[in-house]
Amino acid sequence: MANLQLKELTKHYKQGKTVIKALDGVTLDIGDGEFVAVVGRSGSGKTTMLDMLGLLLRPTAGKLIVDGVDTGALGDRDLAHLRGSKIGFVFQEYNLLPSLNVLENVMLPLRYVKDRTDGRKRAEDLLDRVGLSDRVRHRATELSGGQQQRVAIARSMVNQPSLILLDEPTGAVDTETAEQLISLLKSLNQQDKVTIVVVTHDLDVAKEAKRQIRLKDGKVVADEAVAPVPIA
Amino acid sequence: MTQVRNKRAAEAWYSPYLMEIFRNISRRKLRSFLTISGIVIGVLALTTMGAIAENFNALLDGGVKYFGSNVQVGAPDGQSAALLPISKVEEIEKVDGVAAAFPSYGFAAKPGAVASVSFGVPDTIIASDPAENEWAGIKVTFAQGHQIDAGSTGQVVLGSTIDKEFNKKIGDTIDLPVRPADAKPDFINHPFQVVGILNRTLTAPDSFAYINIADGQALLKDSLPIAIRDQIDVKQITEGINVYGKPGISLSGLDQIADRINAQVTGVKATRPSVIVSSFKSGGAIFTGITTAAALLALVIGGLSVVNTMFMAVAERVREIGLKKAVGATTRHIMGEFLLEATVIGGLGGIIGYGIGAVITIIANATAPPGQSTLFLLTLRLTLFALGFAIALGAVAGILPAWRAARLDPVTALRNQ
Repeated sequence: MANLQLKELTKHYKQGKTVIKALDGVTLDIGDGEFVAVVGRSGSGKTTMLDMLGLLLRPTAGKLIVDGVDTGALGDRDLAHLRGSKIGFVFQEYNLLPSLNVLENVMLPLRYVKDRTDGRKRAEDLLDRVGLSDRVRHRATELSGGQQQRVAIARSMVNQPSLILLDEPTGAVDTETAEQLISLLKSLNQQDKVTIVVVTHDLDVAKEAKRQIRLKDGKVVADEAVAPVPIA
Repeated sequence: MTQVRNKRAAEAWYSPYLMEIFRNISRRKLRSFLTISGIVIGVLALTTMGAIAENFNALLDGGVKYFGSNVQVGAPDGQSAALLPISKVEEIEKVDGVAAAFPSYGFAAKPGAVASVSFGVPDTIIASDPAENEWAGIKVTFAQGHQIDAGSTGQVVLGSTIDKEFNKKIGDTIDLPVRPADAKPDFINHPFQVVGILNRTLTAPDSFAYINIADGQALLKDSLPIAIRDQIDVKQITEGINVYGKPGISLSGLDQIADRINAQVTGVKATRPSVIVSSFKSGGAIFTGITTAAALLALVIGGLSVVNTMFMAVAERVREIGLKKAVGATTRHIMGEFLLEATVIGGLGGIIGYGIGAVITIIANATAPPGQSTLFLLTLRLTLFALGFAIALGAVAGILPAWRAARLDPVTALRNQ
């Protein structure tokens, strides 16, 4: 379970003499086990916010508190350890390593954590869960886009994180595959109680979340619960 | 149970880690081949040149051992004939600190042979007291046969190289000195029965034919000009005297004996062994320096290709680096992975280069003409140095690219196109 507190979180970039306010004083809480969709136009600050929640970017100002720990006080090494143990990432372009097979890709995050007990079994179980137990020895390049994204989701889960961050996870897959991925994310959120924050343009993904945060010009312009989708 | 589980977990992590390195190397086959070839050529040069230096050093080490164990006494400077009265042996034995002194004679085994560039010692007939072997710094041992019988004549013990050259067995006869093709009518040699063949020493005794003192004196007489040959009693003269101190005496102790001989015995010149030893050592150091430096230069050039390859690998794998950082890799992890990959490249080049070099030296030694000293000597020291240097070079070559990889900003790296 992960609890995130963003306090006046700000990220400014200098481009020549111009200051770009990618994120401009965002304050919000994301509680344990939430399923949050972050939406907004391109350039609204969604990806910057995701990178900061993933501890890949340090804020220009403000605070990010993860499970009570002020991450601004942590060094690069501690941030890396926190990422490895608490946070899973899923990217639009999957980012699977071509030199590794499917199982090895899922096991990759195990390299960088101390506790690897039962890691291989967890990886195999996760691949079974995402329906790829018959593809463990295949190279990533031998899989379809949807299959690669499912491998990426399994990889994001292998260290049993309490938070999964997804950046446009359905952006490169077809509708049917996108639906399968959404179903998988809901399962992770509901069964595993994993906090999920997904940045998306895909309305189908956004409406499946329990909460929707809308960004515009680096600011939160809407933060509301999503009405449950009526059963057809 | 826990240990077994931890071991399985470690294996699960370890195996793909190494596999990834080898797969990354094989991803760009031509580039990896060329890079590893650079290291291979460097290590090959280091192995072959180093083996020549080691061979030369073994020869010089023999000289250091031999000349560091006794005092060489010869005729004084300016004397036209390098001969000494044999009575000087007794005089020298009375000098304080001297434990034993032996007359010695040396002759070219193949007089008139055309001198050629060689890393070995020319074939030489040595006439000495067999008892001297107990005192000498290099103890010869017998592969076949036995020492020359005391008081006998016409017997010879052959070193391993000279034996191979003339293809002699125990009981065979060899005429010494060997008659040159253009020998004058008055050339004299004598038949000797081979009674012993020595084990290989990698130094001078391999090219020596040992005979008794009485036979040496006969050869000395043969070598004198006809005009004076019958006027000199060769039993009363010697070419040199080898002087020994008590067992375990230091080099400086032998130097002091040399000084006392020069002070107390007239008509001789004792050379300080430290002078001879240092000349051997400096010769060896210069040769080793030249050969090793040439080979290292080749290897360093190979190392630069590793630097280039690793920089290209970093440029190609920017997204991978970003991904690894996203899933928990620290700067140290990324640096370690790229360093290990560079080290593996260096190690592969080292193993292949050393292997080819070893095969070349073994074949070259095996096909050396009979009687010619072998040119190469592979030693454990050289093996460890060649492989160790290749691995270390790979690691050093990887530092800068690995540092660049480790310092990449993960956000920029993840979105690199």
